[in-house]
Amino acid sequence: MTVTGTTPLSAVAAAADTQGPVVVTDVSAADLAGITKEVARAPGARLADMFADGTDPVMLRLVWALDSDQRYLITQTPIDTDDYPALSDIAPAAFVEECEIYEQFGVRPVGGKPLNRVAIPPPLGQGDIDLPRLGRAPAELPQDVHAPHVVGGQAFEFPFGPVRQVGVESLYYGLVTSGEEVVDLYMFTWHKHRGLEWRTQGKTPAQALFHVERAEGLGAVANGWAFASAAEAALGIEPSAPAQRCRAIALELERLYNHAAAIAALCQACGLAVGRAAAEIALEQLHRLNAAVFGHRYLFGVVDIGGAVVTPDTQALRAGLPDAYGELRRGGEALLATNSFVDRLEATGTVTEEAARRLGLVGPVARASGVAVDTRLDHCYGPYPGQLRLPAGQPGGDALARLKVMLDEVAASVSLVNALLDPVGLEQVGGSDLPGRSGPRSNTSGCEHSANTPVRTRPGRPTGRSGLGWAESSRGESLAWVELDSDGLIRRARLRPAAVRNWRGFDDACRSQNVFTDIPIIEASFWLTVAGLAR
Amino acid sequence: MTADIAIEERAAAELRREVARQFGRSLHIRTLDTGSCAACEQEIRLLAAPHYDLHRLGFFFTPAPRHADMLLVTGPMIRAFAVAASKTYEAMPEPKLVVATGACALGGVYPDDAFTYGRVDGVLPVDVWIPGCPPSPLALLQGLLVAVGRLAEKVSGLSFIARSPEGAHEDATAGGAA
Ligand code: SF4
Repeated sequence: MTVTGTTPLSAVAAAADTQGPVVVTDVSAADLAGITKEVARAPGARLADMFADGTDPVMLRLVWALDSDQRYLITQTPIDTDDYPALSDIAPAAFVEECEIYEQFGVRPVGGKPLNRVAIPPPLGQGDIDLPRLGRAPAELPQDVHAPHVVGGQAFEFPFGPVRQVGVESLYYGLVTSGEEVVDLYMFTWHKHRGLEWRTQGKTPAQALFHVERAEGLGAVANGWAFASAAEAALGIEPSAPAQRCRAIALELERLYNHAAAIAALCQACGLAVGRAAAEIALEQLHRLNAAVFGHRYLFGVVDIGGAVVTPDTQALRAGLPDAYGELRRGGEALLATNSFVDRLEATGTVTEEAARRLGLVGPVARASGVAVDTRLDHCYGPYPGQLRLPAGQPGGDALARLKVMLDEVAASVSLVNALLDPVGLEQVGGSDLPGRSGPRSNTSGCEHSANTPVRTRPGRPTGRSGLGWAESSRGESLAWVELDSDGLIRRARLRPAAVRNWRGFDDACRSQNVFTDIPIIEASFWLTVAGLAR
Repeated sequence: MTADIAIEERAAAELRREVARQFGRSLHIRTLDTGSCAACEQEIRLLAAPHYDLHRLGFFFTPAPRHADMLLVTGPMIRAFAVAASKTYEAMPEPKLVVATGACALGGVYPDDAFTYGRVDGVLPVDVWIPGCPPSPLALLQGLLVAVGRLAEKVSGLSFIARSPEGAHEDATAGGAA
């Protein structure tokens, strides 16, 4: 049953204390623009995702994170015609999804704005590659739209990719430049699109988990956990407390190795070989620790639907974590004391707080721009206690702020792992032990809702149950939506790793008075994956 | 851990000897992601980290396919990427080697379907396969050792005959392959 109210926000208020952490409400196509405006203006609300399913009608779903209310709000709108209100005019963060929905479901925002291709490549000499879709094909495939040439006649485009530097993922950049300055940057990612949402259809959640973990190998735990939570909500089951703790430990280990890898990449981008070597020593130690504790260097196969497959070797964890952390902490302190390195990061790739909010950015990128969002604090799930304290973030929005946020989070993750090993100590989980950081942020209101309360679905729908799941990956909020049919097979799964949100801040960061040579630094400081975006 | 180090050192010494014997100075590797999940790339990057330090073995990464002896390919070969993959391969000089890296590249993660070829040898001629999801840096080192042997076979199989403009043959080698 969906929650009703005169508006979605009043429905949320009406649902207080009686509903779980996810409120679903129906919105008609006629009301969609007005209600989107209302929710977008509400304090503490951000558009976390937008996706569609079905063909006749296409069901358009907007997922709003009401962080201050510790809830997600899902509005669902049946679209009977070929178009719907241009939501990106109201919430600019919706543009990428508008493009994606047109490509996959054939419905587009009104107004005829040019849309980009997302997953379907342009013709490569023999016409369009005919890829399977989640819904019906659009009447006309989107044009291959480039970035607007804002300095008419004075700028040119410089194509870069998809084959790039050694040991990095394939990605195509279009750089618009007047010579050295980055005037604009746009990206095409169909070279890596593997149709993962399509692949999950008709599988059981347990079967689909194999591909979900491999959508973005550097986020296997977080994306796996979000997906498993969504499936568990749909199935009406809840993992045991030890299983939740096991997932949470793996998640922090995933954060630790990702932050170490990001720091190594930052040093590499700045040509700081010693710093890179120090970070990579810690990184390799962390991968070996993962293998010793959970049996896999990248923590694949830890999460399971309904629980966790692997019991961590806590002895190995207690023995190995201090060394790896010590290495990383010493490296971080040395980096912050290296003026030439700090100078290179300062004012590089700045994302303003306004841009971070407008684009719905998450994770360390948002937290380094003064937007303190963290699902471990804002949305109840897992074993996190009411009094959990985590670093609040940094102001500044540049690559240096992002580095500081990562160093803070490394310290906090180690504290959290230690606390999870000793559940009684969870209350003591603190923020940074590095000097000069802003104080930790607490979840003082505590976790009011029971996580994984099954999401209510529309009455009378012919198909079965659905659920939303989330987890705080090293890159920020990872979301997943799962809808099962009456046989328990997946009818529609939506995977939204944090990379999907944060890449849309990358071109903003590159544009802000940067030159070509800043781009690798900015990319390292974002530490996103192309795989997570082009899933 | 001690056993690991011993294996690592043995593999490293063997690899160094082979590279030195076959190539005199060095062997250059270009990486190519054809749709990986990003974990294989991280393991490849770690080959240059102090624990493994690939450079001391005479291996170097090169961004230019024209300088590369070996193509280390990850991912299941997305169909939309096949043109870029072929161009990269064609840009490499002979003798060249393709190393399919990781379960995706070997056919263990994605099927042959509309999105992907499901394995690298759907498009490129693969010489060596390295299993693992992802293969650890140590497994990659072992794979490189096998690959060096294969490349040596390819080198010894080349005729090194160049044609003069008139069509007469002349021996262009006098035995130098390095
Ligand atoms: S082989 Fe495994 S680790 Fe490597 S790219 Fe494929 S899924 Fe990722």
